[in-house]
Amino acid sequence: MRTCTEATRGQWIAGARRVGLAVLLAGLVLLPLVAERGGREGMINNSTLFSLTQMLMLVTLASNWNFISGLTGYIDFGHVAFFGLGAYSTGILMSKAGWPFFPTLAVGAVSAAVAAVLIGRATMHLKGPYFSIAMLGSFAALREMARVTTPLTGGGPGLTLPPYLNRPLFYYLALGQAVLVVALYRWLKGTEFGLMMLGIREDEPGAEMRGVNTTFVKTAAFGLAAMSSGIVGGMWAYQNTFIDPDIVFLDSRTIEIAIASVLGGLGTIAGPVIGAGLLYWLRDVVWANFLEWHLIVEGLLLIAMVLLLPNGIMGLLGDRSGLDVRQAWARWFRR
Amino acid sequence: MTTFLQALVNTIMLGGFYALMVMGFSLIWGVMGVINLAHGEFVVMGAYLTWFLNRHAGWEPFATIIVVLPVMFAFGYLLQRLLINRIVDRPPLVSLLVTYGLSILIANSLKLAFTGTPRTVTTSLGGFWRVAEVTIPSVKTFDLILALAMMATLSLLLRRTRLGKAIRAAAQNRRAARMVGVEIGSVFAVTFGIGIALTGTAGILFSLTQPVAPFVGLPLTLRAFAITTMSGLGNIGGALLGSMALAAVEVYIGTYVPRVGTNLGLVATFVVLVVILITRPQGLFGGLPSAEQQ
Repeated sequence: MRTCTEATRGQWIAGARRVGLAVLLAGLVLLPLVAERGGREGMINNSTLFSLTQMLMLVTLASNWNFISGLTGYIDFGHVAFFGLGAYSTGILMSKAGWPFFPTLAVGAVSAAVAAVLIGRATMHLKGPYFSIAMLGSFAALREMARVTTPLTGGGPGLTLPPYLNRPLFYYLALGQAVLVVALYRWLKGTEFGLMMLGIREDEPGAEMRGVNTTFVKTAAFGLAAMSSGIVGGMWAYQNTFIDPDIVFLDSRTIEIAIASVLGGLGTIAGPVIGAGLLYWLRDVVWANFLEWHLIVEGLLLIAMVLLLPNGIMGLLGDRSGLDVRQAWARWFRR
Repeated sequence: MTTFLQALVNTIMLGGFYALMVMGFSLIWGVMGVINLAHGEFVVMGAYLTWFLNRHAGWEPFATIIVVLPVMFAFGYLLQRLLINRIVDRPPLVSLLVTYGLSILIANSLKLAFTGTPRTVTTSLGGFWRVAEVTIPSVKTFDLILALAMMATLSLLLRRTRLGKAIRAAAQNRRAARMVGVEIGSVFAVTFGIGIALTGTAGILFSLTQPVAPFVGLPLTLRAFAITTMSGLGNIGGALLGSMALAAVEVYIGTYVPRVGTNLGLVATFVVLVVILITRPQGLFGGLPSAEQQ
């Protein structure tokens, strides 16, 4: 009898969760309809919509990062490099070659994926911290490349894109991509491919011994995540209408992505979504009053979270499929 | 030929700075297994301290060492006691994330305190000597001498004193060191203090050769990492060689590639780093414990 009630309870929770998710999605889809536009008063203002768009982009970026770092355990400190490649693809093609927006997204996605496969082939042989630092190095190197190839990238002074202030369009693009990406990763986590990724995280030599082509799995996952981040980069560049090496290859973007994932729960699918949402809520509500301090607070937050909440919010909620940050590299340092 | 010799002189000067900078990083990594991603920010902190005393009290930059050393030591000691001690026994991802958070924290605090304007120090020791068409700037020569002196001191400290013995024991085997009566907690705190003090001193040299700004730390951290991986942990001679090698790559690219060479030097650093990591995971001169051993 008891198992029966527990099963019903489980079904009920799953049903409630599904309904909640549907309501949330419907709300997000309908939101721009009540926003102010062209002088018309709305329930929410333009800057809220802008900030929500940024949040949705962070959801996608954090999910991509989490796909690599959370599922395969390769902690990547250079993922923003692929965002940057996407941003520069869109920036260069639109401002220098006069391309329309959407084809540039495809170019950005492809160039990010190709770069990821090339960089990943080299760096993914490295273990633990060596991989992380090599990626951090690749990221810094790409930033300098963007600075020196002035004829192409505009160098330090940057590039200005044709301005286009259609806030709802960017909002829907970001929302669509976030939903797609999260659904894709959720599905992939349950497939054989996802299990192979988890196998790499838990015991790479063991997975290899059982016939998993670890190089292929790692590189494919790396390329997929990079491709998605490249698209985000392109959208971000067009929405921002201006790019230069320092705002595209921003150090604090890496930390933002890492915070969102670790806060929500590294290696869980819902983690980065919850983390990104919370981070934006914190930023708007708590830090609006001390703007200059917000990166200082972010640094503190990362330190505090790693020490106090290593499994993230999803871990608190009882999801055990994630990765305890304290254990992420333990296998490389076992005696 | 003159260009080549000039680049060689520049390499030795830059290599001296890198060698001093990398000491603290290598010491902290070697002794407590913490990869300190806030390392470059400590260099910048030292540089700001020097700039502050130089600008507002009119001190000669080299003289600020009597303030920079104790202040940075105290800062490092406290930081280890309050924060790093909690992450020493955890896997390195924790220390990487925590020190990365720390680096963002320090860089932005510095920006808040000193604004983003690049600052330069003034010194009365400027000028240069000319030896057969080659320019030898005097400030950089004193930099080099100071760096070598600091490294010799560290080497003596580690090899000839009781404290040095305790530090080396703690690095080799924590548990055994504890068993023979080494108080690991305070040895770690003192080691971290010494590492940060050395790093702060590197900041003095930095302020004398480049403008100081809040966000110049990350490339320095990456260079420290590259040199340490090349030369092995706690290997002072190796670190000197590795620093010279990296400096040579940067300077020669900067000299022979027109206009963009200086920026490409940084790119080259990372290419070197990745190539070395892939081909020689134990470091060029041995000594770097493989990940499993640590």
